[in-house]
Amino acid sequence: MNKAMLIVLCAAPLLAQDARQIVEESQRRGRANSQRYEGVLEVVGADTRVTKKSWQSWRLGSYGNSKAVIRFTAPAEVKGVALLVINHPDRSSDQWMWTPAIARDRRIALQDRSTRFFGTDFSFEDLEERDAEQYDYKLTGEEAIAGAACWRIEARPRQNKTSQYTLSRVWIRKDNYVPAQYENFIKDQPVRRLEQKDIQNIQGIWTPRTLEMTDLRRKSRTILRMEKLEYNVPLKEDEFTVQALRRDQ
Amino acid sequence: MILLRLISWPYMRKHLLRSVLTTAGIVLGVALLVGMQTANRSVLSAFNQTVERIAGKAQLQVSAGDPGFGEEILERVQSLPGIRAAAPVIEAEADPGFPGQGKLLILAVDMTGDRSLRDYEFDNGDQDVIDDPLIFLAQPDSIILTREFAARNHIVSGSKITFDTMQGRKQFTVRGILKAGGMAQAFGGNLGIMDIYAAQSVFGRGRHFDRIDIGLNEGVTLEQGEAALRKLLGPGFTVEPPSGRGRHFESLLGVYTLAMTVSSVFALFIGMFIIYNSFAIAVTQRRGEIGILRALGATRRQVRVLFLAESAIAGLIGSCAGAGLGLIFARTLTGVSADMLESMFGVAQNVQQVVIDRAFLFFAVVLGTGTSMLAALIPARNAARVEPIQALQKGRYQVLGAGENRLRRNLALCAAALSLACLPLSANRVFFFAGFLLTLLAALLLTPFLALELTRLLRRPLKWLRPVEGALAADSLLQAPRRTSATVAALMLSLALVIGQGGVARASLSSIEEWMNNSLNPDLFVSTTENIASHGVRFPASMQQELENVEGIAEVQAARLPRIDFHGYPVMLVSIQMESVGRRIKRHMVAGDEATMNRLAAQGKGVIFSENLAALVKMKLGDMVDLPATTGTMQLPIVGIVRDLSNQMGTIFIDRQVYIRYFQDDTVDVFRIYLKPNISPETTRGRIVDRMGNGRRMFVLLNRDLRDYISRVMEQWFGLTYVQVIVAMLVAILGIVNTLTVSISDRRRELGVLRAVGGLRWQIRRSVWLEAAAIGIIGLVLGVATGAVLLYYELQAIQHDISGMPFAYEFPWGIALLLLPVILAAALGASIFPAERAVRGSLVEALEYE
Amino acid sequence: MISLRAVTKLYQGKRQIAALQGVDLEIARGEMVSIVGPSGSGKSTLLNLIGGLDRATSGEIRIDGQALTALSDDDLTRLRRDKIGFIFQFFNLLPSLTCVENVALPLHLKGLPRQEIDTRARSLLEMVQLGQRLDHLPDELSGGERQRVAIARALAFSPPVLLADEPTGNLDTHTGADILALIRDLHQRLNSTVLIVTHDASVAESCQRTVTLRDSRIVGDVRR
Repeated sequence: MNKAMLIVLCAAPLLAQDARQIVEESQRRGRANSQRYEGVLEVVGADTRVTKKSWQSWRLGSYGNSKAVIRFTAPAEVKGVALLVINHPDRSSDQWMWTPAIARDRRIALQDRSTRFFGTDFSFEDLEERDAEQYDYKLTGEEAIAGAACWRIEARPRQNKTSQYTLSRVWIRKDNYVPAQYENFIKDQPVRRLEQKDIQNIQGIWTPRTLEMTDLRRKSRTILRMEKLEYNVPLKEDEFTVQALRRDQ
Repeated sequence: MILLRLISWPYMRKHLLRSVLTTAGIVLGVALLVGMQTANRSVLSAFNQTVERIAGKAQLQVSAGDPGFGEEILERVQSLPGIRAAAPVIEAEADPGFPGQGKLLILAVDMTGDRSLRDYEFDNGDQDVIDDPLIFLAQPDSIILTREFAARNHIVSGSKITFDTMQGRKQFTVRGILKAGGMAQAFGGNLGIMDIYAAQSVFGRGRHFDRIDIGLNEGVTLEQGEAALRKLLGPGFTVEPPSGRGRHFESLLGVYTLAMTVSSVFALFIGMFIIYNSFAIAVTQRRGEIGILRALGATRRQVRVLFLAESAIAGLIGSCAGAGLGLIFARTLTGVSADMLESMFGVAQNVQQVVIDRAFLFFAVVLGTGTSMLAALIPARNAARVEPIQALQKGRYQVLGAGENRLRRNLALCAAALSLACLPLSANRVFFFAGFLLTLLAALLLTPFLALELTRLLRRPLKWLRPVEGALAADSLLQAPRRTSATVAALMLSLALVIGQGGVARASLSSIEEWMNNSLNPDLFVSTTENIASHGVRFPASMQQELENVEGIAEVQAARLPRIDFHGYPVMLVSIQMESVGRRIKRHMVAGDEATMNRLAAQGKGVIFSENLAALVKMKLGDMVDLPATTGTMQLPIVGIVRDLSNQMGTIFIDRQVYIRYFQDDTVDVFRIYLKPNISPETTRGRIVDRMGNGRRMFVLLNRDLRDYISRVMEQWFGLTYVQVIVAMLVAILGIVNTLTVSISDRRRELGVLRAVGGLRWQIRRSVWLEAAAIGIIGLVLGVATGAVLLYYELQAIQHDISGMPFAYEFPWGIALLLLPVILAAALGASIFPAERAVRGSLVEALEYE
Repeated sequence: MISLRAVTKLYQGKRQIAALQGVDLEIARGEMVSIVGPSGSGKSTLLNLIGGLDRATSGEIRIDGQALTALSDDDLTRLRRDKIGFIFQFFNLLPSLTCVENVALPLHLKGLPRQEIDTRARSLLEMVQLGQRLDHLPDELSGGERQRVAIARALAFSPPVLLADEPTGNLDTHTGADILALIRDLHQRLNSTVLIVTHDASVAESCQRTVTLRDSRIVGDVRR
């Protein structure tokens, strides 16, 4: 849920061929060598029941080539559970999960990315970064989101089946190129909406500190607040391996 | 049809008891048939339903029998193009110990990926099934139960349940409730869902899966997917649609069904004789009436149709009643079948409902009605032959024509000769079964003749016993051979069946006895279950060392007993330390030299086959065996064939090291323990339990316990024989009551004279009873003789067609002797009602000339 | 010997039919009485009641001082066996038994020693001049011979009362006369009380006393 992970699609000026440029500019501006934050997650179910979790997140690299580790810190039952995501520019990411209670890591299979990420309103796919090359973009208008002027861009996956979504809409702010909102569609039916709020400049990068994902079918939402966010922290490649997952429990 | 109402209905009403008894044969036959079939179908359908519901959207399933396969297979399968989803599965059973609730089927899956194949959420948009999926995965004590099971046992989310695991008895937390419908109906709702990686440790599966459920990409056909997977995985794996499991189960069920079907067909067959008898009698009694009908212008055809219609109606009513009764039977039988399957094959079933197959019910009713009509065919023809003039004649027409008798006898002799001729050719199954049927035919054709001769023989002792009552009883039978012989035939068949089944039971019992004495000689067994047949949980290999360290233990053999598919048979693979077994067990050798066999097997240079498997798959000493394993095909020669009864479908013994190498499975189902001399097994059992039993699911059985258990299972199986004894008794009673009812009406005058000249009531009753007893004894003698032959054919069929077990022919004298008092008692019971009628009727009327 | 007081026998059907109505009759020991009357007048019913084959609806019957109404079924049977001999119009022999076996029937039923039964049955048959036909089946005999066997059977226990229901009804005149002669002879020799139901006038006339029945009542009682 780190911001960069969620940037699937972005955009640049006016005409159809410019949509891609807007997305690429947005990705470029958000780029950092590494990132770290402590996340607080709230899931508000349709019955307004709220569950809370906290985790720490580390990311190395950006966009297509990044690697990320999430390690849960609360509640007690899930403390130590870790997730490793290795993104590839040309294909879907590889994901592993570590559960300390049975001392096992497991691979999360490719076919299953459309499922929800551990009871949140994010799917596993929503955690991935995809290279802009995997999509076709089209600028379809301009709209204001939360008072800020935005380009509205439509993105369609080039290859079938690599995404659960058949269409995504993204609103990119004209002032700082930060995506303010996404809407993901399955067969012309909006299924998830992500709002990126509380945008602050951290180490020169405009970063949304609060992400709110709404599952439009389940009518539940998940709010992620990122605290102690830092860019370009010293991280090593070998901290982003399955072995490291096991080691650092 | 007006004739039916005018002619048949009053007759039926007048002879209500007999009409009821007549139909009772059909009722019983149809009831048994419907009961057994419905029970089996219910078990099968419960199984299929479980498989289907659990399979979800899976189109193919990859499995490798009991041993399972390593996790790396999953990635290989997932990497195959054309595969949309591949989800690993472990299935196990657990007993949460709720009284009367039975076991839980644990379906262990990887929740992160499983939803692409199985629906865990229903009523979209509603609350989650799992309270918190992350906690579910993070905590290995998580389990999801169905709403139904939870409600039955007052479980809510957050409740704890306990069951035995490889690490001992453990508490599990209910972290989700599955909504009703869909998957939640599998295994009668007794379904628990766990995380697969947690299940691996809980059930001792190491890094193995039992199965991978596969969904294919659109555009990939089942055949293409299957072929690709087979090519990828090799022969050690089974790749088939979920329905394939149902087929395997059905074939297991088949062995058991066979005996049941034979019984019900016999019952129907016997019912046919009872009906034939009744109609033959009715035709005789209603001769006058038929004559008048004919004189009034009824055609022969009309008369024949009248009788056939009567039989059809009787058959229809009987069949419908039988079908209803059968469905009631089925409720009881379903539980029995399910229990037996579990104890024999370790396939637990939770059958919640009886499945009614309308088509089969219809078939059973048609069969029952058809049988009834078939039985009435000859009497109806005889009725049609009645000349109008005979309406005015009175008297008995029961004497068998000499010609008819001779014809029968000659036919019988031909049949017997042919069946003998079939004997040397019986290697060919066609000749074998032809011989069997010819023997039965000969027995049936000879019945009237033999019954008559036996009665003549019996008259003397009967007369000696009771000069008046005995002689008259015998005379009554002699005077009406037609009345007697059909009942005798029915009795003969049912008793032959009892003798046959009893003989099979006895033969298998004595074989099992011998085998238990030879092979089951360890002092103690340590098993994960109270029996050795079913295994959900397994022991880790490390336990062997622990056991060897227990004081007083001389030797420990670790056995893993997976069931594998070999040439289409569910064979038991016994992997055990062959060197130790060779030293400890004296084998009953069928082929090969014991010392050489033990040496080669211990060196891992060969496998040992059980005699029955060798017979079933037609393999002999020295033949190469290709055993498909998960790491490739294992090729070893047969170095010995031994008699072994561990498994009905056959056993293959291999050395434990070879097994571990090929199947990468070092878990253990049973430890066989030999003690040092003069060490008490009870004491050692205590020590083992003290040292290792803390919380571990473990049963330490004394040799005696295991034997008792095996005997109990056998008894359950042979309980069938007792069911048949009861059916035989019912048939005996039905047939005899029927015959006696007619007999006393035929003998009304005679009995009247007896009473007039001073016969007391008990003397009259005794005469009736002696007649019943005579029928019973004749039926018994013929039945025992036919049974002796039947037994031969049954044993042959078992050896060659069913399980390959070569049983020695041993006549079940015990059962034959038991039958004598049973039949005499049945005769007594059957004679009560007719005898009362005989002593109650008006003397004056009885003495009047009819 | 035989005494009837106000004996009535009703048959229950759709309509009640009276077979006997208020019959009084006394027969002394050693009498030979014929009972005559048209068909349906109640002759056979009277005989059956006296012989204990049937029970009266009301009234009292005594044989040798013993009231039949008081007896149980089995006691009635014993009385029949020991004190009454029956001779039927259609003989009522058991077709599957030989002559000697038929005669031995009541003896066996009483449970006498077998040796004695055999001797007695033989001598009974000799008494009716059938000593040469001991082991024949009834079907092999003529009508007269069969009736003789039946008579021999009736005499098994030398009963004080002999009841014959149309004993000659199924025989030709000549044979009938023979049988009648035999009965008279036995009557004299054994001094039994004999009742013969008949509609043969010659039979009736040969008796000391003739009771006439009509419409269920005694309308005549003649001694000669």
